[in-house]
Amino acid sequence: MDLITENLLSILIALPVVGALAVLGHQLFWKQEGQLKWVALVFTLINFLISLFLLADPGKVSASGFFFEQNVPWIKAINTNYHVGVDGLSLWLVLMTTLIMPIAVLSAWNAIEKKVTAFYIFMLLLESAMIGVFVSLDLLVFYLFFEASLIPMFFLIGVWGGDNRIYAAVKFFIFTALGSLLMLVAIIWLFYAYAGIPGGTAAGTFDFVVLANAIKMNTLTFAPLTGTLLFLAFALAFAIKVPLFPFHTWLPDAHTEAPTAGSVILAAILLKMGTYGLMRFNFVLFPEQSREWAPLFIVFAIIGITYGALVAMVQPDMKRLVAYSSVAHMGFIILGMFSFTEWGMQGAVYQMLNHGVSTGALFLLVGFIYERRHTRMIGELGGLANPMPIYATFFVFTSMSSIGLPFLNGFVGEFLIMLGMWKSVILDGYHMLGWNWNTVATMFAGTGVIFAAVYLLWMVQRVFFGKITNAKNRMLADLSYREIGLMVPLLFLMVFMGVYPRPFLDRTESAVTEIQKRVLPVAGGVIAEAEK
Amino acid sequence: MQIDMIFFAELVTPNVSISAILPELVVALAGIVAMVYDSFVPDQRRVTAGISLAGLIVATVILGAMWTADVPASAFGGMIAHDNLRLGFSFVFLLVTALTILISTVWIENENVPAGEFHALLMFATFGMMLMASGNDLVVMFLGLETLSIATYVMAGFRKTDLKSNEASMKYFILGSFASAFLLYGMALIYGATGTTNITEIASRIADPNFPALLLIGAAMMIIGFGFKAATVPFHVWTPDVYEGAPSPVTGFMAAGPKAAAFASFLRVFVIGFPLVAGAQAAGYLHETWITALSVIAILTMTVGNVAAILQNNIKRMLAYSSIAHAGYALVGFLGAGTATDAADRDAAIASVAFYMLAYAITNLGAFGIVTLLGQKNDRRAEFEDYNGIGFRSPALAFSLSLFMLSLLGIPLTAGFMGKVLVFRPALEAGNTLLTIVVVVAVLNTAISAYYYLRLIVVMFFRERTTEWAQPRIPAGMTAALVIAVIGVLYFGIFSSGIIERFSRSMPASRVVSNR
Repeated sequence: MDLITENLLSILIALPVVGALAVLGHQLFWKQEGQLKWVALVFTLINFLISLFLLADPGKVSASGFFFEQNVPWIKAINTNYHVGVDGLSLWLVLMTTLIMPIAVLSAWNAIEKKVTAFYIFMLLLESAMIGVFVSLDLLVFYLFFEASLIPMFFLIGVWGGDNRIYAAVKFFIFTALGSLLMLVAIIWLFYAYAGIPGGTAAGTFDFVVLANAIKMNTLTFAPLTGTLLFLAFALAFAIKVPLFPFHTWLPDAHTEAPTAGSVILAAILLKMGTYGLMRFNFVLFPEQSREWAPLFIVFAIIGITYGALVAMVQPDMKRLVAYSSVAHMGFIILGMFSFTEWGMQGAVYQMLNHGVSTGALFLLVGFIYERRHTRMIGELGGLANPMPIYATFFVFTSMSSIGLPFLNGFVGEFLIMLGMWKSVILDGYHMLGWNWNTVATMFAGTGVIFAAVYLLWMVQRVFFGKITNAKNRMLADLSYREIGLMVPLLFLMVFMGVYPRPFLDRTESAVTEIQKRVLPVAGGVIAEAEK
Repeated sequence: MQIDMIFFAELVTPNVSISAILPELVVALAGIVAMVYDSFVPDQRRVTAGISLAGLIVATVILGAMWTADVPASAFGGMIAHDNLRLGFSFVFLLVTALTILISTVWIENENVPAGEFHALLMFATFGMMLMASGNDLVVMFLGLETLSIATYVMAGFRKTDLKSNEASMKYFILGSFASAFLLYGMALIYGATGTTNITEIASRIADPNFPALLLIGAAMMIIGFGFKAATVPFHVWTPDVYEGAPSPVTGFMAAGPKAAAFASFLRVFVIGFPLVAGAQAAGYLHETWITALSVIAILTMTVGNVAAILQNNIKRMLAYSSIAHAGYALVGFLGAGTATDAADRDAAIASVAFYMLAYAITNLGAFGIVTLLGQKNDRRAEFEDYNGIGFRSPALAFSLSLFMLSLLGIPLTAGFMGKVLVFRPALEAGNTLLTIVVVVAVLNTAISAYYYLRLIVVMFFRERTTEWAQPRIPAGMTAALVIAVIGVLYFGIFSSGIIERFSRSMPASRVVSNR
C-alpha cells in the first residue's frame, strides 16, 4: 500500500504508457485486434481505481499545500526536476481524467473499426499526458506534458475524424502550439529572473512552488513591461486552450471532426488545461498583472458566453451545437475565476467538473445517434423519443444538467459564479449607465443561462419530439447495455453533484482560497488600483 | 632576431603531441586503409564499411578517454585546442559519419556505388571536420575546412550519370570555392590587424589591434565564409539545389556534419577569438558589431528557411530549407555564447550549440535514412504525394519518420525539444533586448515550422493511398541506423542530463589552451 501511495502520481502517469505498450505487444504477438479494446479498458479502469487513492488521507501535506508530492532531479544541468503533487484544484481534475478515460474507451467500442491498435495507443498516451499536466509542479515538466498532449489528439482527430479532419487537426495543433511556445520563452525567462534575485541563490529554477513563494514574499518582482509580457505569454497559451473568445475558432472544427471519444476527452479534460493553467500559474505567478487584465478577460468571457450561445442556436449539426455551447460554458468558468472572490473561483472549479460531466455526456449521446444514423443533422432527425425512449430520457436529463436546472450539477456552479461576480470588487470603478460593471457582467451571464435553455431545449424538441418525418428513424434501436452502462456514472454524478456538492467544494476550498488570497491580497488596494 | 631564435628552438624540439590529435589520426588512418584496400580488392563494400566503422568506434573511445584523461591542453605550439568545444563537436561528427555509413547501405546496394571510394572520402571529410573543431589557429581551421569541402564536393556528385547530381556538385564547388576565398581573405586581414593567426593570441590582441578597420572587415569576411558553410541567410542560396541533387545519404551527411563543423570553427573564431574586452574600444566595437550582425542573420535565417520550407513539394528540398532554419536556431545559442559574462556560462552556451547539433544530426540523419529507403533508385520518390497513406502500410517506418519530424519541430520528449530549450536559455540569460527578440522570433518560427513538419505526418497518416505500395526491404545497416536514431532521439530528449553535463564541463584551469 505504501508503495502505491508514495508513488501514486507517478503510477497514474506511467500506467497508461504501460497500457499503450501492452496494446502494442498484444497486437504484435496475438494479432487479435478485437481484444485490444479490452486491454485498453482494463488499464484505464485500473488507473481509475488507483486514482481513488487520491481521496484517501494523504498523510503529509507540504507547506505549500500539495500532497502526494514527489521531487526528483531530472536534468541537473538546467536544474529541472520531476516535481509532481496535487492540491484541491488539481485533485478533481485528475480524478475526472481517470473517470472519463474508461468511458471514452467504451464509447469507441464499436465506433472505431480501422487502425484499432494505433487508436488505443494514442488514447492511453493521451491519458498519461493529461494527468501529467494537472500534477506537474515544475514549469518545464508542465510545458512538456502540455505540449505532449497535443500529439495524440492531433492523431485522434486526423486519422479517425470526419471528412474535414485534416484541416481541423492541423488548425488545432498550430493554434495551441503557437500559444504554448511563447509560454516556453516566459518559463525560461522566469528561470533567470529567479537566478537574478539580488542576494538570492545563484541557480535559477523552474520549480513552481519556489517561484510562487518568491513572488508571494515579493523577493521576485518584475518591471511593469516585463511582468505584462510574461503574464500575456502564459495567458495566451491558456486562453487559446480554453478557448476564450476570440481564440475559440479552432474548437468547433476540432470538436466536429473528432471521433466521439476524442470530442469527449477534448471537452471534458483538454479544455480544462486552459482554465487550470490560468488559475494555477497566471494567478499565482502574476497576481498584479492578473488583476490589471481581469476586466479584459471578463469582457471576453461575457462575449464568449453570449456569442457562443447565439451561434449554437443556429447550428444545424448537433455536434457543432454542443461545441459552441462549450465556448459559452467555458466563458462562465473564466468569468468566475476572474471575479477573484472565493465563491466565484470555487464555482469556476466546480463548473470545470460540471462541464466535463455534462458536455462530455452530450458528446457521447450525439455519438450514439451518429453511430446509428451516420448523420448529426437536426433536420434529418425528429421524433426519436418514440423508438428510443431511454436515449431520449438520458438526453433530456443531460440537457437539463447542462442548462443548469436546480438540483442538477450545472446549477451549483453557475449560481456560485454569478454570486461571485456580483460580489466581485475587481470591476469597481467601471460604470455603465450608472451600474457597476460587475452587475452588468452578472446580468449577461444570467442571460447566457437563458440562452442555453433556448438552444438546448429547442434542439431536444426538434430531435426527440413531434412526428417522425424520416422513415429511417422509425426502427432505430435504443441504447445497448454498454451504452447505458457508460452513461450511468455520468448521470449519477449530475444528480450527486447537484444535490450534495459539499465533498467536492470542501476539498477544493483550501487550495482555492490560497490562490484567491495571493491574487487579491487586500481588497482595498485593488480598488485603488483599478481606479488608476 | 628573437623571433628567429624561437623558430629555431621549435625546429629542434617541436611541440608535437601525437596523443592530442589521436582521434583525428585514427579517422584519417582508417580512411587511408579503406582507400588502399579498395584499390587492391575492389567492390568489397562490407569490408570498407567495416574498416571505417571500426576507425570511428576507436576514435570515439579515444575521444571519450580524452574527456577525463590528462591530455596536454595545447599541442603543436597552440595550434590544437583541447576543450569542451572540440570534444563535444568531435563526438557529433563521429556519430554523423557512422550513421551516414549505415544509411548509405541501401543506396550503395541499389545503385552499385563504388563503396570504397565513398567510405574513404567520408572518412577524410570527417578528419577535416574534426580538425575544424580542434584547430585553435586560423590556418588549421582552413586546412580542415578544405579537406572537408573537397571530399564533399566529390560526394555530392557521386551519381555520375545523373545530371542533377552533377549540377549539385558543380554548384557546390564553385560557390564553395568562392566562400573559401572570402574566408581566407578574412583570415589574412585578421592576421594583418593582429599579427597572429592563433585564436588565443587574437583574443588577447583585439583590445589594441594594429589596424582596427582591418579587424572589422576581416570579421565581416569571415562571417560570409562561415555563413556560407553553415548555410545561413543570405548565403544559403546554394543549399536547396545541392541538397536536392546530391544522393540522399550524402545530403543527410552535409546537412548534419559540415554544418556542425562550420559552427565549431565559427564559434571558436568569434566567441573565443573576438570576446568583449572591458574598457577596450576596438574590441567592444567589434563585439557589438558581430553580435548585431549575427542577430540579424539569425532572424533572417530562421524566417526565410521556414517560410520557404512551407512552399516545397519535394521532401528533400523541404528538409534542405528546414536545415537552413535550424542553422538559425543554432545561431541563437551562438549569440548566447557570445554574450555570456563568464567562462562557465560561455562553455555551457557552447555546449548547448554542440548539443543542438547533436540532436539535429541524429534526427536529420534518421529522416534522410527513411527518405533514402523510400526514394528507391535515384531518389525517384521524394515528393510529398509519394508518401500518401503509407502510415499504416509501413507503420514502423512511418512512425519513426513522424518521430523525427516531431523532433525537428521540437516537441517535448524528443532531442529537438531539449536542443531548443538549451539554445534559447543562454540567449535569454543575458537579458539583452535584441537577443530576447531573436528568441521570440525563434519560437514564432517554430510555430510556422509546425505546418510543414506536420504536413508529412498528415500525408502519411491522414490521407488514403490510391496507388500500389510495395513494402521496402530494409537492409541490416539501415535497420541499425534507424534504431540508433529513434533511440537517440528519445534518449537525448528524456535522459539528456548526462550528455549536457559532459558537453558543458569546462576544462580545469590548468588545461585551458594557452599559447606555449
